[in-house]
Amino acid sequence: MTTLLPKSRIRPIAVGGSKLARPVAWGLIGLLILVTLVAVFAKVLAPDNPIQPVGEPNLPPLAAGHLLGTDQIGRDLLSRTLIGVQASWLSALAVVAGGLLVGGIVGLIAGATGGWVDTVLMRVTDLFLALPGALVAIAIVAALGSGLTNTLIGVSIVWWPYYARILRGEVKALAARPHVEAARLSGVSRTRLLTRHLLPGVVPTAIVTASLDIGNVVLLLAALSFLGLGQQAPAPELGADTARTLSQLLSQWWVPGVPGLAVLVLSLIANLGGDAVRNLLPVRR
Amino acid sequence: MLRFLIRRLAGAVVILLILSFLVFVLEHIAPGDPARAYVGANASNATVAAQRQLLGLNDPFLAQFWRFLLGLVTGDLGRSLRTRQAVTADIATYLPATVQLVVAAFLIAVVLAALFAVSGALRWPGAFIGRGVLLLLATAPPFLLALLGLIVFFGRLGWLPARGTGDFEDPGPTGMQVVDTLLHGQGDAFLDALHHLVLPALVLSIAPAVAIGRVFRSSLQGVLHVDYVRTARSKGLTEGRVLARHVVRNALGPALSMAGLQLGFMFAGVVVVEQVFSWPGIGNYLAASIPVDDFPAIAGVTLVLGAIYVVSNAVVDLLQAAADPRVTVQ
Repeated sequence: MTTLLPKSRIRPIAVGGSKLARPVAWGLIGLLILVTLVAVFAKVLAPDNPIQPVGEPNLPPLAAGHLLGTDQIGRDLLSRTLIGVQASWLSALAVVAGGLLVGGIVGLIAGATGGWVDTVLMRVTDLFLALPGALVAIAIVAALGSGLTNTLIGVSIVWWPYYARILRGEVKALAARPHVEAARLSGVSRTRLLTRHLLPGVVPTAIVTASLDIGNVVLLLAALSFLGLGQQAPAPELGADTARTLSQLLSQWWVPGVPGLAVLVLSLIANLGGDAVRNLLPVRR
Repeated sequence: MLRFLIRRLAGAVVILLILSFLVFVLEHIAPGDPARAYVGANASNATVAAQRQLLGLNDPFLAQFWRFLLGLVTGDLGRSLRTRQAVTADIATYLPATVQLVVAAFLIAVVLAALFAVSGALRWPGAFIGRGVLLLLATAPPFLLALLGLIVFFGRLGWLPARGTGDFEDPGPTGMQVVDTLLHGQGDAFLDALHHLVLPALVLSIAPAVAIGRVFRSSLQGVLHVDYVRTARSKGLTEGRVLARHVVRNALGPALSMAGLQLGFMFAGVVVVEQVFSWPGIGNYLAASIPVDDFPAIAGVTLVLGAIYVVSNAVVDLLQAAADPRVTVQ
């Protein structure tokens, strides 16, 4: 019985709740920035050419000159992973940014205008949300032909409605607040109302939603790549590299394992960083 | 309630129509000429043109869509370019294995989610380690989990098989090995089938388990301290009874709708898992169709899995309405 009674009704969230946790949150956000920098400068950081054999095949990790070992034809796994991280991470950021842009515009217009515009836009959004996103993305990419650009198009098409829904709700709540009412009564134009009084209010929610979402996109893109819907060989790609070398799993685990672990690390950093962003920004939970 | 039922079902039908239209449009965009696929690569242009006419590919767009819809209703999804079979027949062959895998994974996910939620809400000492492991696993890509499972349980320990559904002939009639062997009373084959099922089902269950578990935990935490629970406790009910009758029952709603959503997601997520484990299901069929641009097969699987997703979401909504009449008012 006593174990059931809580010390307080709502337990503070660990990160950001106490004084000690703030540096942790900033550290995690720093990690997000670091991964982005690594992704941007991957070509400079990669010690070897990622698509040329540079050493003995199937060297284990920590081998001399090859920190993460080499793959089945002797390509440096660290270099391949770095370039793969670049493709995964920048693609995920692009999808999230695209979703934020399109969904944000739709949500803003729907929430601020109301009436039939709101109804129509939200009906369309709901239809998209009711479809199984991952499957539709697979079908779209398969129809357009595999390749990084097509994958990005396919995923983006199914990804924006989520943002439209959330941001529309946020705008609606904001539009009922006194400062917006006051602005409207003082006769500011619709554009000004939208850009100066509503848009700044939804920015925290938008940032939090987007940063919590990066991990999901990383995983979806990795799955599509695993199914062969990403870049074509020999370009390094984390999901596809794992899929192509599955047969080596029990003899040389690192050849399929390293790119897979890289996806795990990316997804982990994205999730932790997203949590940190949420805890630092003033957003209703 | 009846109005809600009709509205919800009508909504599902509209979504299915949109999904079929989307797939139809994609089939038009997709590379490859269906007429040439029918008559073979060596056929003359005249033969291909004749086949185009025969297949109605010269008809107006909407007429073609209408015929596509009629085909769907009568179970005609076209012909796979890879297996040269009717896509419907292919899917009928492969779907049972997928259903078996997803249902098994779903059951595991529900158990894990309940443990996750209850241990979190009641602060079981030490259970946070298990929750942490589960959370970590849920951030991993499913194919990595599959690899990890294979290395540990197949490679190192040798406890579980790596591929397929079992080393025996499925006696029928459902195509789901576990069910069929049980129906025929074949104990050894049943155990073999179960043995093959464990690892893929476990891998598939992790992500939905955490998703459901998180929702369930927060709704449990919300209900745990409301007034009627305090009343129940103060009138002397045992802790178990308070939990079962007053807490869990009222906290179940959000978890149920999340479970329905996740069940739908699992039918999409099964593709990668089936590929790693060479599971003879519809996901593996899809994975094999992608590299050879077999779009009729891809479209067929998308439609079938998409329909399962839409229908399962609708069913969950209706179940929720049955359990909690307030839902219908919205």
